[in-house]
Amino acid sequence: MSDSERKTEPVSKRRRNFLIGSAMTGVVPVIGWAGQAQATTQAAPVDARAALNVALRVNGRLHQVQVDARMTLLDALREEIGLTGAKKGCDHGQCGACTVLVDGRRELACLTLAVAAQGREVVTIEGLAAPDGTLHPMQEAFVAQDAFQCGYCTPGQILSAISCVHEGHATSPDQVREYMSGNLCRCAAYPNIVAAVLQASQQMGD
Amino acid sequence: MTDTLFPAATGTMGQPERRYEAREKVTGSAAYASDVKLARTAHAYLVTSSIGRGRLQSFDLTAARALPGVIDILTHETIGDEIRQTPSIYGGGYMADTLRPLGSAEIAHWGQPVAMVVAETYEAAREAANLVVVSYAAEVAPVAGMGSSVATGQALDPMGFAVGDFDTAYRTANVTVDANYTTPAQHQNPMELFATQCVWEAGRLTVHEPSQYVNNVKFGLAAQLGLDPSRIRVISTYVGGAFGAKGFLTHRTALVAVAARRIGRPVKLVPTRAQGFTVSGYRAETRHHVQLAATQDGRLTALRHEGWEVTSRADTVAMGAVSMTARLYACPNITARVNVVAADRSTPGFMRAPGEMPYAFAMETALDELAHKLQMDPVALRRVNDTQTEPVGGLPYTSRSLMLCFDTAAAAFGWQGRPSEPATMRDGDWQVGWGCATAFYPTHAGNSAARVRLSADGRVHVESAGHELGQGMYTMMAQVAAEELGVPIAQVTVALGDTDLPPAVVAGGSSSTASVAPAIMAACDAIRRRLGIATGVPADVMPAMEASGLGTIEEFTEVRAHGTAPDSLRGLYRGMALPAGGVHLPDRVQFALGAQFVEVRVHRRTREIRVPRVIGAFAAGRIINPRTAHGQLVGGMIWGIGSALHEHSEIDTRNASYINANLADYLVPVNADVADVQAIMVEEEDRLVNRAGVKGVGEIGVVGVAAAISNAIFHATGIRVRDLPIRIEHLM
Repeated sequence: MSDSERKTEPVSKRRRNFLIGSAMTGVVPVIGWAGQAQATTQAAPVDARAALNVALRVNGRLHQVQVDARMTLLDALREEIGLTGAKKGCDHGQCGACTVLVDGRRELACLTLAVAAQGREVVTIEGLAAPDGTLHPMQEAFVAQDAFQCGYCTPGQILSAISCVHEGHATSPDQVREYMSGNLCRCAAYPNIVAAVLQASQQMGD
Repeated sequence: MTDTLFPAATGTMGQPERRYEAREKVTGSAAYASDVKLARTAHAYLVTSSIGRGRLQSFDLTAARALPGVIDILTHETIGDEIRQTPSIYGGGYMADTLRPLGSAEIAHWGQPVAMVVAETYEAAREAANLVVVSYAAEVAPVAGMGSSVATGQALDPMGFAVGDFDTAYRTANVTVDANYTTPAQHQNPMELFATQCVWEAGRLTVHEPSQYVNNVKFGLAAQLGLDPSRIRVISTYVGGAFGAKGFLTHRTALVAVAARRIGRPVKLVPTRAQGFTVSGYRAETRHHVQLAATQDGRLTALRHEGWEVTSRADTVAMGAVSMTARLYACPNITARVNVVAADRSTPGFMRAPGEMPYAFAMETALDELAHKLQMDPVALRRVNDTQTEPVGGLPYTSRSLMLCFDTAAAAFGWQGRPSEPATMRDGDWQVGWGCATAFYPTHAGNSAARVRLSADGRVHVESAGHELGQGMYTMMAQVAAEELGVPIAQVTVALGDTDLPPAVVAGGSSSTASVAPAIMAACDAIRRRLGIATGVPADVMPAMEASGLGTIEEFTEVRAHGTAPDSLRGLYRGMALPAGGVHLPDRVQFALGAQFVEVRVHRRTREIRVPRVIGAFAAGRIINPRTAHGQLVGGMIWGIGSALHEHSEIDTRNASYINANLADYLVPVNADVADVQAIMVEEEDRLVNRAGVKGVGEIGVVGVAAAISNAIFHATGIRVRDLPIRIEHLM
């Protein structure tokens, strides 16, 4: 969040934003930092369950939303911002259906707290196609190679696949299989997913 | 997809058309049940039983109720009589089991819903659910499964049968096999969770829920809630995988409906992955005793297959696929029996090739054991016993291309020259083995209706309450209408998965295409008759449509499937359209068949098992879309790899719970487990099965792979493993 934006907010929220900043380091557990705030500021007791105002930049747009401190980025995207492309398959970081890009890297939105995504660039499946509707080469490759059936894991597969290419992990079928194994596909479209990633990697020029 | 032989196709049907909904699925705009946004939605969270058998003694809801944001808590004490006791599908009803949702203090199984919290946010509902204090009385230890004894099994006599004199033939045979096999409990684990959203508007209920049978949910819910069915609409536009788990009404739907009515707001429930292990049915664990006898030249003279399956105390459920394994090969003396063992578990249900996978594992492994004893090639053994007439009732197969499948797949695999002795092929530190097995799946169809509308501008709209589960239903139904009316496929739109549409069969038993395509064809016939165009031959209807001066023609037709009762079309309008066919016909048997070949590698030191190659050839009648069929067959075979090597719902016997109720510990194949998997579609014409000539490919891919892998592991190592999943420790 920029300084100019911060100035417009009430003092109490500024403190919260500071605390969120601490939480973003990943050192302080979520429940802990509300308690710390009480100890250090001597202000009115902070309700750990109170809604927090956060600003999330998703697909290039800034969204001001109120979230429970425990709300995941996945639920914030789906329930608060209305971007339901990212899917909940396990909520435990085991299936990859919720994969989004955060600051250009693939992350599991179910293991990322919404408050921790502040100040970072989030890209979801809805942000891939060009404004005129032209599909991203990876989306086009998934269609061309029939790399899905039910489609539920597909948004996560596509975002993971884009990252896989950018990471330089799409140079051979074996490498793609290894680096795409965090994204489960119960329809088991795996051979076609590998074909799609290899096709798109050539078009993406990485 | 150069590995695929596509059957010759002239029109749109038979072409590898891209998926109708592809753009929606790659852009995130395909709205699954939990994606539907309803205003002022409250969030629900289930509390489930932590014991396997006993009674609820009391609830302490104080802390949960005091939590900010909590709106309502349903328990058997607070819900009143809002949900009626209704029968399960096994008792002529709609439910996946006979338990009444939040119906009493009785605990029938671990994971049974005992309360549901409704709150302003998901986070509050989850926290409150964790604050619900449940006291149980658990005096009796639960029966967790079959245990080591099958003595408690109960024979299901109607599923047993015998022909000839098995005992004498077996006793006097030259060569025999006598072996026992087991398969574990498995869960479908579709990627999409068992979400449900309910909203009431002016006394009418709309349910958004992923379903393989929206009309089952509608009519079942009407019975549970005492509502006129016309007041309920169930919508399931997209389903994020089902595999049998979303076929029939589960407890959650009525709970969400009641909660939404109580609080006067939409309610959304997304059970956790762990809860999903008991939300719906699963594939129960099985045991098998197989005895085979043959002459020296490999002809079967006696075949006995007895199966044991776990069921719940509430419901007697058995897949009993001896009805199929005993009909695959010519044999004069056959005995088959099915038993169930009642356990304190949730009621089992359907999982992709529900009985076919475990029973085929037993029979097709036993055949490999027989081939080894006879020193005979496993393909030759199948050829010697191939038949066009099933041996139990003497009924003809409508078509059977099994040996063509074996020959096609064997050639593609390079099977010729395989050394017959096990443990003789090596590649560095890897022991290499080749195995094969027969795949089979009964051809089903059920009653279905469809509506087709032709507009003067050439647009065609198709409506059916059939279901898109990932099998390509939207695409295939567009292809059928485009071909029958002679219009480009781009001009066809399709609506599915909504009880407001013409009713269709449950999307189970690989029956959807075989059931709904004929209904669409019949509706197109009716349009052609209105325009004076002959049916049954290719034609472009548009010149006649223009000449007619009509704006639109709309036709609704219903089609009764072969083998269904004469009055069964009425059931179509009561959520009772179930598939018929397979081995349950008086005049014939209907099967899709296939041959599957597998290469395995077992590491000499670590005993790691890899499956570098799987090739299957399948004859399944007409293939409407080889592209989507290829996905079904390859996906099915990868499920076979999972059944052989990964999937196992591990049970803690202390409370009959699942230890690995999550996607990290319940292993399913991941991309790195899969290398070269090829599906070959063998051309086959069958005009008897249904008007579309379709046999269905949704499940057959799974069926023989586990046996083929077990057989290949024997070939690689000389170690015969008769228990799934096969793991490193089996090969030490």
